[in-house]
Amino acid sequence: MRKRNRHKQSAEVNLGFQIAPMVDVVFVIMLFFMVLAGAVKVENAHNTKLPGTQEAATATTMPDEIAIRIEDDGQVYLNEDPLDTTDITSDQGKMLPELATNLNQLRQSSEASKAEVLVTIYANEQAKYERVVDVLDALSRAKISNVTFQAVAPE
Amino acid sequence: MASGGGGTESGEPEFQIAPMIDVLLVLLIFFMSITTAEILKVDQNIVLPVSPNAKPRDPEMTKHEIAINVAWDMAMSKAHVKVDDQVYDNLADLVPRFTARRTKDDKVRAVIRADRLLPAIEVQRVLNTVAESGISDISFAASNK
Repeated sequence: MRKRNRHKQSAEVNLGFQIAPMVDVVFVIMLFFMVLAGAVKVENAHNTKLPGTQEAATATTMPDEIAIRIEDDGQVYLNEDPLDTTDITSDQGKMLPELATNLNQLRQSSEASKAEVLVTIYANEQAKYERVVDVLDALSRAKISNVTFQAVAPE
Repeated sequence: MASGGGGTESGEPEFQIAPMIDVLLVLLIFFMSITTAEILKVDQNIVLPVSPNAKPRDPEMTKHEIAINVAWDMAMSKAHVKVDDQVYDNLADLVPRFTARRTKDDKVRAVIRADRLLPAIEVQRVLNTVAESGISDISFAASNK
């Protein structure tokens, strides 16, 4: 009889929902996701349009064309002027600050004269795709979205 | 032991909240993990170039996108183009496939997922193939970090 009573008491004690361990577990899960969120890699994109042959209803004004050339070693030329370093491993080399500044100024002057800017990227055959994306990144910073892509250097 | 069995002393089954929450949390984690997975068939072995200023992908365009995975084999100096888990040695084989997709969907977008060390000429070859099939909306994938 005593044994049965003890059994009944322990059952009554353990029956209730325990909030403290529940909160413990929830905090651990929350910490796990907070740490994980910092290391998540997100895949972004640079969007562009290939030139088409659509008929236009009105006359189109020809935009100011800017040529950016990328050499095999990573050297970037803006209208034949070499800019920034060829060191694509350093953050400074990857950011292409001189190119971004020049492009920003060109866009501002084009906007002032109510003209559009068109940038053509001429990448040499063996230039790394990473360097092309560095240039696209600099163009994004300069808020230029009118970009075409060509893989051979201009004649 | 009666507390762990989920029943009262009379033998009636009893609802236990703690295992219920356990199961719900497991289900929550499961659904969180499958919703973050890409719908596009992407090649996880490709190391994308880093571009902090690239725009986030438009979720509405996801169903219109075709992922073109271009891996670079450094040892063989050869590019491997993969679309929907199928490797294409001859890029011309992709033209009818892309053309059929464009006919069905006007908003189709080609997402080029190329390895960071890939030579630009290989990207140009893929662009030519995309242009031949009449797709003009192109997107270059890049990683944020």
